Amino acid sequence: MSQLVLEHIGKVYPNGTRALKAVNISVEQGEFLVVIGLSGSGKSTLLRCVNQLHDISEGKMTFEQADVTHLKGRSLRQLRSRIGMIFQQFNLIPRKTVLTNVLSGALARTGIFKSLLGIYSKAERELAYRYLDIVGLREKAYVRADNLSGGQQQRVAIARALMQNPKILLADEPVASLDPATSHSVMKYLQKVNQEMGVTVICNLHFLSLVRTYATRVIALKGGELVYEGSPQDIDENWFTAIYGEDAVEVTID
Amino acid sequence: MTTISFAPKRHVEVLKAWMIDTLVWGYTFLVLFKIVWQRIILDLRFIDFSWSEPLACLALGAVVALAMFFTRCSIGKALYGLIDFQDGRSWVRESHAVLTLVVLALTFVAGIMVTQVSMREFFSESGLAGAQRIFTALLNPNFAIFEDALFAAIETVFMAFIATSLAIPAAFVLAFFAARNLMSGSPLSFAIYSVLRFFLNVTRSIEPLVWAIVFSVWVGIGPFSGMLALFLHSVASLTKLYSEQIESISDGPIEAMKATGAHPIQVIWYGVVPQIILPYLSYTIYRWDINVRMATVIGLVGGGGIGTMLMQYQGLARWNEVGTLVIVIAAIVWLMDYASAKIRARLK
Ligand SMILES: Nc1ncnc2c1ncn2[C@@H]1O[C@H](COP(=O)(O)OP(=O)(O)OP(=O)(O)O)[C@@H](O)[C@H]1O
Ligand SMILES: [Mg+2]
Repeated sequence: MSQLVLEHIGKVYPNGTRALKAVNISVEQGEFLVVIGLSGSGKSTLLRCVNQLHDISEGKMTFEQADVTHLKGRSLRQLRSRIGMIFQQFNLIPRKTVLTNVLSGALARTGIFKSLLGIYSKAERELAYRYLDIVGLREKAYVRADNLSGGQQQRVAIARALMQNPKILLADEPVASLDPATSHSVMKYLQKVNQEMGVTVICNLHFLSLVRTYATRVIALKGGELVYEGSPQDIDENWFTAIYGEDAVEVTID
Repeated sequence: MTTISFAPKRHVEVLKAWMIDTLVWGYTFLVLFKIVWQRIILDLRFIDFSWSEPLACLALGAVVALAMFFTRCSIGKALYGLIDFQDGRSWVRESHAVLTLVVLALTFVAGIMVTQVSMREFFSESGLAGAQRIFTALLNPNFAIFEDALFAAIETVFMAFIATSLAIPAAFVLAFFAARNLMSGSPLSFAIYSVLRFFLNVTRSIEPLVWAIVFSVWVGIGPFSGMLALFLHSVASLTKLYSEQIESISDGPIEAMKATGAHPIQVIWYGVVPQIILPYLSYTIYRWDINVRMATVIGLVGGGGIGTMLMQYQGLARWNEVGTLVIVIAAIVWLMDYASAKIRARLK
């Protein structure tokens, strides 16, 4: 059985914009699924529907065999806690230490009162150190997060997501504000999380060279519709023009 | 000549521009008649006033504005961008710019007449003698009342402190309802936002001095009425500053905290508060600084503290004592100013 199933998912924003139209996707446990498409094609919307930062307008979503299309309150928070997310702008808490940022990934299972006082158990702290080890930033634990470089901030964001002990990791253009070398280092950490910890990754990307290197499967959106689904090796000239249009030229990043 | 098209939205702008022109011309004629003609040229001692004069000027202004409206000589049209500006044309050739200058110059002349600027009085013999008397006294402060002054000063600082600290929780809560980005979701919340904003603006536009007069009638003369006045004014201005800070926070951390499955209270504590806490502290300290300054003035109308003391000695014309009080006030204000600037620089 697939881990995550989207059936005829549609999204209409309050202002009337139709961002997704009847999208069908099945995601298998352990995949590295990459979503490509032009700007405005609905990639971010798709990811935000999965963890319901945006509510789903139409269709049905199943996560580990349970219907999770329209959750509210506590059960919605529970769903979100099992799906980590990282962002293009990293979205770390400013003026707080790296450690505090990583620990914030455990909020869903921490009591409200304790979290207001910033009290975390020893086990949680050790877990946070372990994930900082994994992303190679243990020695930065007490540095203010906004004093780190972009690549380092994104690695902290990965550690924060890991702190949730997620089944799925959503990544919305995680390397779009980073230089090529740093991009690869961040992508390698995502790959590590995917291969060594078995976390399913769903990632929006812009550069096809990155797609070919890291994806195990690719889907493409165009105007909110699914227009391609296949292996990264199969994206050829024809598909490229179909997805990006006649005038597009492939830009590479190494 | 500019052509005026009457597209639906332009219609309104043209009307507004004409009303502005009417006001400008009406004002110009009124100043020319009352100040330049009656006061300067005829040099009348007592100028009487009747409502017919400004109304006549306004009517004349409306006519002239209408006549000039079809030329480039229209301030209203310039303000609403109804005149096509030609690149490279000197402003001296723009008649509306010249007209603006003329109106400003007239206002300056009128202002001098109205405030009764008189070099003769400034340098008159009795005037200079008076100045000498008060400055001698001020510069020879009577330090016998120094202890009393210090005591009153402490009262003033505490009055400001309590007003500020009581205002913090009130403003903290109100700020969320006064933040546009949080309240523009539904019509109801937007209505609450608008009403709250309106009351805050009204409260803020009334000086604490006036509030102190109101409260001194309500709760009696003394530090309590002064404190209430400062409190009310501080709530209004802190709410505004706080809510502007809330409006400028970035959604990123909030979104990230939601995505971890955090409870809304945790989202606010981890996603919102770290973004606003330092600016909040900085504003609050600045506010305390302002409140100390205002507290000295508020005392003048019976708000207690060192201002009340100043008013009493001034009423008795005991300038040596007033001198002491002025020194103490200056010292406090300077100290608060210095300390608050230092602390705020640290809070960046
Ligand atoms: N909050 C919103 N309200 C209304 N419309 C929105 C909102 N967010 C996105 N949209 C619209 O939905 C469509 C899809 O946007 P989305 O952000 O999902 O695209 P994207 O593929 O992520 O683009 P990009 O590569 O630029 O990030 C766009 O037309 C966009 O204008
Ligand atoms: Mg996007």
